[in-house]
Amino acid sequence: MHSSGWGSSERLDWASAVLDQAFEFSSASDYCIFIQHLVNSDRTVAEPWERVVAHADMDAFYASVEQLDDPKLRGRPVIVGPRSKRGVVLTASYEARPFGVGSAMPMVKALRLCPDAIVVPPRFERYTELSARIMAVFEDFSPDVEPLSLDEAFLDMTGSEHLFGPPRRMGEKIKAAIKEATGGLTASVGLSQTKYVAKVASGYQKPDGLTVVPKEDAVNWLAPQSVARLWGAGPKTQARLYALGYQTIGDIAGADLEKLQTTLGSLGNHLFELANARDPRRIEGHRVARSMGCDRTLNEDVSANEDILLYLRRSADHIARRLRRKNYLAGGVRVRLKTTEFKLLTRQCTLAEPTDVAQVLYAGAQKMLDRFDHPGPFRLVGLAAHSLEGADESRQLGLLDAGSARALEVTLDRLAERFGDNVIRRARDITQTTVVDQTPDLDFLRS
Amino acid sequence: MKFTTDREALLRPLQLVTGVVERRQTLPVLANLLVVAEKGVLSITGTDLEVELTVVENGVTIEQDGRATIPARKLADIWRSLPAGAEVSVHVDGDRAIVRSGRSRFSLATLPAADFPKVESGPGDIELRLSTRDLQHLLDQVSFSMAQQDVRYFLNGMLLEVTSEYTRTVATDGHRLATCTVNVGAPGVERRQAIVPRKGVLELGRLLSDGDEDVTLHVSANHIRVTRGNYTLTSKLVDGKFPDYEKVIPKDANRTIIGDRETLKQAFHRASILSNEKYRGVRLIIETDQLTIQANNPEQEEAEEVVDVSYQGERMEIGFNVSYLQDVLNVLDTDEVRISVSDANSSALIESPGKEDTMYVVMPMRL
Repeated sequence: MHSSGWGSSERLDWASAVLDQAFEFSSASDYCIFIQHLVNSDRTVAEPWERVVAHADMDAFYASVEQLDDPKLRGRPVIVGPRSKRGVVLTASYEARPFGVGSAMPMVKALRLCPDAIVVPPRFERYTELSARIMAVFEDFSPDVEPLSLDEAFLDMTGSEHLFGPPRRMGEKIKAAIKEATGGLTASVGLSQTKYVAKVASGYQKPDGLTVVPKEDAVNWLAPQSVARLWGAGPKTQARLYALGYQTIGDIAGADLEKLQTTLGSLGNHLFELANARDPRRIEGHRVARSMGCDRTLNEDVSANEDILLYLRRSADHIARRLRRKNYLAGGVRVRLKTTEFKLLTRQCTLAEPTDVAQVLYAGAQKMLDRFDHPGPFRLVGLAAHSLEGADESRQLGLLDAGSARALEVTLDRLAERFGDNVIRRARDITQTTVVDQTPDLDFLRS
Repeated sequence: MKFTTDREALLRPLQLVTGVVERRQTLPVLANLLVVAEKGVLSITGTDLEVELTVVENGVTIEQDGRATIPARKLADIWRSLPAGAEVSVHVDGDRAIVRSGRSRFSLATLPAADFPKVESGPGDIELRLSTRDLQHLLDQVSFSMAQQDVRYFLNGMLLEVTSEYTRTVATDGHRLATCTVNVGAPGVERRQAIVPRKGVLELGRLLSDGDEDVTLHVSANHIRVTRGNYTLTSKLVDGKFPDYEKVIPKDANRTIIGDRETLKQAFHRASILSNEKYRGVRLIIETDQLTIQANNPEQEEAEEVVDVSYQGERMEIGFNVSYLQDVLNVLDTDEVRISVSDANSSALIESPGKEDTMYVVMPMRL
């Protein structure tokens, strides 16, 4: 829970208490009069915020789900990921984290750090099912929910004080509702007046945290935190920031903007704004997934284009079917290859027209292969469709559509619906069985 | 190399040839013009490896033969900035080109002429002779429909189709298609197609913008060479298969609207102001002798235009990208325009009644 180390938070807690009283008034006008009374009464009270942004993030989501479903795993270090030595950690439970195990770490390394960890293969269907319940909870709290992944979302809570109470109460209610809906999973919630501060706040006291940062405290609250917490500052940018002598967000907030801009370009401006807790971005509710992807970690490394293409072809089939099922069109394609040194290379392109046809996705991916300029070998081949839009949205129809390819694929969809996904396969796929770890449905992949 | 001329003699040639030079090059020498003074003739060439333009000038006093490459944009800028009627001399000495005029003097860095890449076009196997007017018409009526940086690279250009009877141009970006035909062909040619890349089409258009000499086109396996007066433009052809345009032209668009082109153009223009800036969609509601154009944007602002047209048939609604309609109405030159549609998901055909030389196909939008 929130520490009471800050004066204004205490003030806020006090204000919460009075406002809770206020909600017992019978009408809105009474409420206003009451507020007016408080303001006049020479005591500091937080007025309702102009904007209230909540960021809710499930704690070690996949691992917590496994612990929820299997009591034997509770209280023990759990790693969700493929059992294969070549896979990577998807999520580590909080019991495993003190050993230094984290997401995206090679399984081999994770098990060296924490030999007693129990490795559990992922069950995406179960996660998706619980995710749907969590998202439904969010939607009970706000009409504007912006999901960032299966287990994380922004909620626009502006103007809902009269329903849920002041921000701290909102956070408590969201957390309680998630726990109830999932049968015991915990989330960490941050509330502030901007998306950025709310996001940092939710990560501030994980797990099961609740952090409320009022607007007037935001800059000071951010100041002592590491620049690594700045959105848009990846490892490379961080290194540059350290080199420039910036350690904390406060250093950036107080930095010379011109100097930041000359060294970092527009990113400098962006970081400066964030560090000063300015983030005008709105909650983008009703948004569709930004991308839909499929990564395959392979048993045997591949180098030859034709081998890579085999996996891309399969992923294209898989993704296109999912696009059609969910009524999406993809505006672009992204290919990811991971070298044996775990370096992730990415190339992406925009398609001439949004599509849900595997043939078109594959053709786009195929063209990009030459742009990698790396001889391999690769241990992972990934394909994602990005810039998704709803197929029903207004759109320009094409003169030269891939009509026949789509007709064939739709026919295959029907067969798969009736007889199962593997009723028809490409001849080459029957002999090739080298995938060890497929994370097929990487929806919401952040680009 | 040394030559003297008056500013006006080389002003337009330098501007045209420099137009071919890309602002960013893969090779330093591509930023330069090849200047050759030999046998009493001065020739200047610019290239981007895809399109090459050469001009040959006789009205130049050559004092010393030679060849060199000179920075294109700088030379053209200097030339343009000199006072009208000025006499200019160019003297290449070692790796410097000295440009002198009156009390002005410029020393430019040259690169060896031997490094300048020439497009090897080979002999043409088709020769076609067209008037400037006809060729200009063929380009102007379709070039706006070419794709731009499309992954279907064969759309980033214009199809040129030559038969013994006619010459036809076709361009499409996958959403709309334009075609124009003139009844001049190349004797003995059955049917030959070539895709001229976008840049070649645009440069050719610039070349035709002045004067009315005839134009000779030579098409070979991989190149097209266009000769007009002192200028020779050579362009690589796009290696690819252009879509079968005849399949795209709707045959069953039997709901026909005839309206006044200028009235429609203005109505579309006004409606477009409140259309979605990204998608540019407008809704057309077609009823007996009346066309209603509706537009709205994400801010919920709305425009409605009602236009009298001639139409007999069922009421129907169809959406379009208004820019595509505007583009067509802008290039047509008749008072009336005919729009034929069949349903909201099929392409529309736009023509000038009584004029068969141009045809436009526009795919609708789903709104």
